[in-house]
Amino acid sequence: MLRQRDGRLTRDLARTPGGFGLGQVPARRKPDATADLVCGYCSIGCRLTVHLKDGAPVNLTPAPAYPVNLGAACPKGWEALTVLDAPDRASAPLLRRPGGSRRPVSWDAALRTMVERFKTIRARHGAESLAFLGTGQMPTEEMALLGALAKFGMGMLHGDGNTRQCMATSVVAYKQAFGFDAPPYTYRDLEESDVVVFVGANPCIAHPVLWERVLRNRRDPAVVVVDPRFTETAMQATQHLPLRPKSDQSLFYGLARILIERGRIDAEYVGAHTRGYEPYAAWVRQFTLDRVAADTGLDPREIERLAETVHAGERVSFWWTMGVNQSYQGVRTAQAVINLALLTGNVGRPGTGANSITGQCNAMGSRLFSNTTNLLGGHDFADAGHRAKVAGVLGIDPERIPRRPSLAYHDIVKGILEERIKGLWIVATNTAHSWINQSQARDVLGRLDFLVVQDMYASTETARMADLVLPAAAWGEKDGTFINSERRIGTIRKVAAAPGEALADFAVFKLVADYWGCGDMFRAWTSPEAVFQILKRLSAGQPCDITGIADYAMLDEHGGIQWPCPAGGPPPAPGAERRLFEDGRFHHADGRARFLFESPRPLPEPPGERYPFVLLTGRGTAAQWHTQTRTAKSAVLRKLYPHEPYVEINPADARALGIRPHGRVEVRSRRGRIRATAFVTRSVQPGHLFAPMHYEETNRLTDAVFDPYSSQPSYKACAVAVGPV
Amino acid sequence: MANPRGGALVDEYLRMQRQPGTAVDRSAHALDAAAGGSGSTPGATAVDRFARAHDEAAEAGAALAGRYSALMPATPPGAGQQYAFEVDLDACSGCKSCVAACHALNGLEDDESWRDVGLLHGGDGGRAVVQHVTTACHHCLDPACMHACPVDAYEKDPATGIVKHLDDQCFGCRYCTLACPYDAPKYSAAKGIVRKCDMCGDRLAEGEAPACVQSCPGEAIRIRVVDAEQVVEESETNLFVPGAPEPAVTLPTTSYRTARALPRNLIPADYYSVHPKAPHWPLILMLALTQMSVGVFVVEQVLGLTAPSALMASIRPLNSTSALVFGLLALAVSVLHLGRPQYAFRAVIGLRHSWLSREIVAFGLFAGLAVAYAAWPWAGARFPSGGAVPPWLGWTVSGVGMAGIGCSVMVYQFTRRDFWNGWSTGCRFLLTAAVLGLAAAWVSLTVTAAWTESAASSAALSRYGPALCRALIAAAALKLVFEAAFFRHLAARSTTSLKRTALLMSGALSHVTAARFAAGVVGGVAMPGLVLASRTPPGQEAVLAPFVALLFAACLVGELFERYLFFAAVASAKMPGGV
Repeated sequence: MLRQRDGRLTRDLARTPGGFGLGQVPARRKPDATADLVCGYCSIGCRLTVHLKDGAPVNLTPAPAYPVNLGAACPKGWEALTVLDAPDRASAPLLRRPGGSRRPVSWDAALRTMVERFKTIRARHGAESLAFLGTGQMPTEEMALLGALAKFGMGMLHGDGNTRQCMATSVVAYKQAFGFDAPPYTYRDLEESDVVVFVGANPCIAHPVLWERVLRNRRDPAVVVVDPRFTETAMQATQHLPLRPKSDQSLFYGLARILIERGRIDAEYVGAHTRGYEPYAAWVRQFTLDRVAADTGLDPREIERLAETVHAGERVSFWWTMGVNQSYQGVRTAQAVINLALLTGNVGRPGTGANSITGQCNAMGSRLFSNTTNLLGGHDFADAGHRAKVAGVLGIDPERIPRRPSLAYHDIVKGILEERIKGLWIVATNTAHSWINQSQARDVLGRLDFLVVQDMYASTETARMADLVLPAAAWGEKDGTFINSERRIGTIRKVAAAPGEALADFAVFKLVADYWGCGDMFRAWTSPEAVFQILKRLSAGQPCDITGIADYAMLDEHGGIQWPCPAGGPPPAPGAERRLFEDGRFHHADGRARFLFESPRPLPEPPGERYPFVLLTGRGTAAQWHTQTRTAKSAVLRKLYPHEPYVEINPADARALGIRPHGRVEVRSRRGRIRATAFVTRSVQPGHLFAPMHYEETNRLTDAVFDPYSSQPSYKACAVAVGPV
Repeated sequence: MANPRGGALVDEYLRMQRQPGTAVDRSAHALDAAAGGSGSTPGATAVDRFARAHDEAAEAGAALAGRYSALMPATPPGAGQQYAFEVDLDACSGCKSCVAACHALNGLEDDESWRDVGLLHGGDGGRAVVQHVTTACHHCLDPACMHACPVDAYEKDPATGIVKHLDDQCFGCRYCTLACPYDAPKYSAAKGIVRKCDMCGDRLAEGEAPACVQSCPGEAIRIRVVDAEQVVEESETNLFVPGAPEPAVTLPTTSYRTARALPRNLIPADYYSVHPKAPHWPLILMLALTQMSVGVFVVEQVLGLTAPSALMASIRPLNSTSALVFGLLALAVSVLHLGRPQYAFRAVIGLRHSWLSREIVAFGLFAGLAVAYAAWPWAGARFPSGGAVPPWLGWTVSGVGMAGIGCSVMVYQFTRRDFWNGWSTGCRFLLTAAVLGLAAAWVSLTVTAAWTESAASSAALSRYGPALCRALIAAAALKLVFEAAFFRHLAARSTTSLKRTALLMSGALSHVTAARFAAGVVGGVAMPGLVLASRTPPGQEAVLAPFVALLFAACLVGELFERYLFFAAVASAKMPGGV
């Protein structure tokens, strides 16, 4: 009684060999089986090993041998199972009654209502009056089914996805420059570079497992970070260029001028594999050192130093993410980066590339198979041949395929505002939180005749606005494939039971098809894996050809497979890492990449007298994901980020404005105002504020400005004022 | 709405979704086959694609071993050595996977992890510094948790140096969470015990890496063997990590390495944030009531020095009984503080090193003696000697009680919080004993006078009442001034821990502070002043009752609020925290 060394509490923490190569695991959670699946958060696409006991998941560890993550995961991945158990999971369809309250209804009633309301709207307002907003978070098979069902089955013309908010810029930049949306790299390029240039990217926090690959580089690389903020990644850099927001385009044109003038380009590569060099070389002459220094606010010596670094590196890789993509001139900025890679011949060799790091786990799947901007399989809606091919594969009438791409997200929003679109189906995204200029976005959603939200939580800001909530099974509760940043296709599978009556999105789409009366069109779409076979056939002959992948089992055995993988070719070695354009042939008809450029434009909303600060937004911590519908559900993740919204402000600005460290401040823009805690830090320059995007309030401030080519919202720079409250 | 299959199809999909580990696919084929459709060849079901343990022996090891082998020591510690964490600050990019992995790989409670990650920031205009700092138990050479523990639930492994917590031995007093400067022990309310990092000792024993080591994408955490001498030397020269508590106290073995020159202005991200701590109500009540109890006994002894024994005999039964009741109540309430009160008796075993043990034993002894003292007049009446309490007993009770208060002071002094330093805590606790002892004695005196209606009692009241009143006013005023003087720390330019406390008391806890001073002034100054001025004629003491009741209640409430602030507003040195 007095001394007790063993007992119930001690045994609670006992560890035991887990088998399956796991090493020791908590004895209470010793698995009797394991299942591997790709993580459902970001596009790095780590594989996670779920530990199962009596058919239910009890734990999770990063898979050790997968070529992507090599046994590592970020906190979101480690906690991926926890968020499935949240009490606010949607477990039954919820229908809003005329009085405004919502009550659970049967699936039959829900689907009948949805179909009836949508058909009524369509009958009254025409084919353009219905639209859908999808996601980069669903497996490719479900995206394809949603896109095909909505457009070919239900006759919708417009659908887009939240990938518009993260990757649209890279898509257009690649398409125009390379002839196809083809990120050329493999993650190993980070290990094989002499110079790694990150532009508008903070992989330490946004993609920690990718940053790991930089740390594994044994070539003592120069790491350059181009970012207005002193981020964790900037801390690790050998050179950080804290330039003015959105002045990166100028910087890259200026670098091109220096390289060209000093003859430090790969003329042979440019001559053999590119087009448009001459006009580009002539055009960048105007980007003198003085001009670029004035545009960027950088020390001219730092600009010259970067030019020398790029020149000195035998293998230089350029990596960008949202700092470039979420811009009013993102496409041309991305192409300014691509131009540098082309100029210096840094494409198609190990450790090189102009590389866009994707956002969501299946943004790449959405880019190829969501049937929104592109026709299924990276095809073109406007191309009759493509339409015929797709119709042939699907066994449908080619006339059912629209002849033009969908409206982009912001045009769908505009369509609702202009009362052309009356019915909207939102699947696995949180528009009412994440869309730019949020107050307006909510107003717009409120104008719909009928809003259907299909989500795993009934509590998202958007689901709360819905007339009908369809409860969805989540990642881990269904099967399918994701395509990651480096084009690697990996599988997810059902390891957990979905709550209540929640159904896999795949099942929901099949049911909608049936209730709509077009179920026969999807007769062959019997299961995710059956759809995968259809997707293979759709990809045939495309740059993203995956006809050489037999089935899910082959994907599992190979540790995922990167596209392309055409039939007839040699199958890739298990765990292989492959890059594109090794032969210097691009996807334009002439096989040449293009130099594309345009005059940089000033900030759409420059800071001024009333709103003297530039507000930067971005990821807060590695433990937070987007609108936090999932990550806020894990008690462990909640420990890892501040609960209340905060803004970072430079000490000089804080002093001048009488803002105390950790004091309350109000941030105002022309669109709204928010309250937050001031984090006084030198990570932001004077004149800048930074607010993480995860807090619901942040997008009340942002300005709805878009890239003219990609229609991607420019989240990262708007004018605000700040003061103590 | 025409629908060929209607609700039956829904039911079928729901049935398929509910099948554990079975994808929609197989059943969808079955469905289509049943409906006369033709599906494509069914693939393997999800269940088939789960790995099963075919060869337990071959898979018993850790597939990750190759990845982390370089992060593990080549040999076990020798004499004068132990295992220690080493953190490469340059390789830590702040992903916090170590926190999540510690939680998952150790099967901890929902929000439990034995690792935390904080942030240091600073730098000059040209270059900012953003440095994350991962921290767990530092497996100190001289662990404060172990010395503090009243039940010996900690032991330092002689071979590995790992500071291990014995979960079944713990009774959940949480004293270690106050004693550890690094927040290493974590209390679980659900389990009623503390748990902490054991460096994954049984993983280490098998050559496997601890959870945090194997999960760090940057390989920033490793295990190495350190020489005790070197730990002492580094601690003495304060080589630890910026923003951390002074290492010389417990000699933490973790070493933080960096090749960079860290700027001098690095501060933790939570440097300016102040948050109230949990108030610990059982401890608040326990401290205030034990101090009142001891105070009453002491006041009684002091009164007995001058007052005639007949007078003492008339007030003693009520006075000492009430003191006893307060004391017993305090001990009863204190047990509620324990996560596992059924093991309260274990507290005796830490007597040699734990101030908490000593406090518990001292007050236990005090309670026993107080029972004897209070019972003496009642029991004594049956004996011929006549019920006069021997003076040595009264002084012994008081002395042991004062020793108990001394132990209480040391309990908090040991935690090295500036707000809880021995001198100021000693003043605080003794003045509480004085204020409440005097106030309670007033109640006894008044009640005795009013109830017994004896002339002796009335005389006593009129003779000693004013002195008691003045003493009470003096003690209460002194204490209020002492507490109010604390706000001088608001003027400090740097955010010291005392300034944090003052900020809390004047900010987030200002309502408690206001209530504390209001009650203190009413009970300790206004009411006794009123009573003093009223000059109640002998025999009409009952008139005073409401005032005396208010006096006592206000004093007690004031001291409870003061003690609430004592716990809620304390700030401690800690490892750097997050934004």
